[in-house]
This record gives sequence, C-alpha cells and structure tokens, in this order.
Amino acid sequence: MTTQDLCEKLNLKMLSKFSHKEVNGVFVSDMISDVMAGAKSGNLWLTVQTHKSIIPAANLVDVAAVIITSGKDVPEETIELANKFDIAVLSTDFPTFKIVGELYSLGL
Amino acid sequence: MSEIKNVWEMTNIQFGFIVYEKCYQTNEMRTYFSLEDNPILGDRYREGKRHWTRVENAQSFRFDLKNINTGEVVKFDDLMGLMFCSGCLPDCELAVLQKKYEAERSMLIVAFGFFPQALTDPIPKSKLDILSDYFNQRRNHNRSKIIVASSTPIEDISRCRGDFLHDVDMLSQEPPPKERKQIF
Repeated sequence: MTTQDLCEKLNLKMLSKFSHKEVNGVFVSDMISDVMAGAKSGNLWLTVQTHKSIIPAANLVDVAAVIITSGKDVPEETIELANKFDIAVLSTDFPTFKIVGELYSLGL
Repeated sequence: MSEIKNVWEMTNIQFGFIVYEKCYQTNEMRTYFSLEDNPILGDRYREGKRHWTRVENAQSFRFDLKNINTGEVVKFDDLMGLMFCSGCLPDCELAVLQKKYEAERSMLIVAFGFFPQALTDPIPKSKLDILSDYFNQRRNHNRSKIIVASSTPIEDISRCRGDFLHDVDMLSQEPPPKERKQIF
C-alpha cells in the first residue's frame, strides 16, 4: 500500500509536496524521542504534534508520511520544511483512534 | 561521510530527561541525563561554591548502537542530543554546510555532547560516522541522506536557534512555545 492509496481511501489532505511512498506499518506517538527510538522506516507516523521539529525526526526515521490527526492546524514553517526534504505531511479531521481503526481495517 | 560497511541497531534504550542546570553565582551551565520521573524545575542545591538551579528539562532518550555483524556495542552515553540545523546564522560554518546539503535534499543534524564537557571533549568523529551510517542504512527511500556533524563549529551556542530533537514541555499543561527557549 502506498501513501497515494491511503490519501484516496481515507480522504487525507496533502499539506506538503512529496513523492508517494510505500507504507509498511503504523506508529502512534506525540513524542519525538519515542518516534526516534521506536518507529521504522516506511511507517506512517500519527501525531497531534505540529511543531517543525517533527520534520527532522520524520526524516531521521524515514517515515513514509506524518499524519496530523484531529484537524490540528499545521504551521506554515512546518510545511515549508517538509517541502524542502520531500516529507509527506498529511492531515485528517478524525481523531487518532478512528484513523488507527481505519488503517487496521486496511491491513496495516 | 564513511561508506556503510556495518549494520547497526539501537540497543540499551532508556527514556528520561535532559536536565539543564545553571549556577547564578558563576554563570556556569551544565546538562545531564536523568532517569527521574519528573525532574522538578527550580530545584536548588549547593555543590562546593556553586549553587545549581534546574532551569529546564526535556524528555529524551539515550541509547547505544550495536553492530549486528560483530556484536560490538558502541556507547552513546556522551550524546546529549541531536539538533536540526536551521541555518539561523549565515556566518556559522554549519549553516553554510546546511545550505549546501539542503540543495541536495540532504539534512544536516548536529550531535551535541553534554555541557560543559562537550566544549572541550566533543563527540568523536568516529562516533558521528557511526550515527550517520545508522540513520542512512535504515532508510528505504532514496530521497536524501542524513549527515551527522559535530557541534564544535558553533562559536556561540547562545545565538544558535537550531531545533533540538527533544520533547520540551510535554509534562506541562501549557501549549509549547513556538521557538526554543533561550537556555544557554
């Protein structure tokens, strides 16, 4: 499954410019240290954190995409940084719990 | 950057806090890793002629890297944290490098040791190369590389506005500040 498939199936908003990638799992956390220690390359990272420091963390781990849940506003500086490094930042109005359920039902 | 010859995995992961302490008598600053559940800000204690006050803490983690080919474990207990260079100071050597790498969609990450030891005894290059190898080897996507550099070229840390990859204010009920607090 790719980020493109997920955007279409879950109606995710694409906030940054990026190339679509293969997705191999899901990691849920609002802590950068947790993500850096536990997430795997190719994972989707679900969070409500929108500070620009999520972008270098996402890049270090090489996540397939960051999904900002609960309709949180994402600062422009976060999007600009994501654009520079081809990091996918997606958003949804749904809370994390609901999106996790949807991803699980899609086989992730 | 060295070629990737070894395969590394994170091991001995411990979650805790980076604690920042200041002595207002001598104006000295020091940092260390703490396994406390909640290091209380404002705590003061005396140590010789210094009166240390905890001025900030940030949730973080420490780890070692294990070479899965040889079983060798390289300790990173001297690593305070990683910082994304935001290119804030045009005259900073790291900002110049960051601009160069950014054009290739590669990212410069600065490795800091604990203060004040890091000022005289920074993380050695051999360990920075291992960190670079670790972050690059786990990448499935060829969109960019990670370059881990020493903090040594930063002449004045108090002017640096890079973003530490720590979790600041996660125990607070207040929303986090937009910019990193002035600590150094």
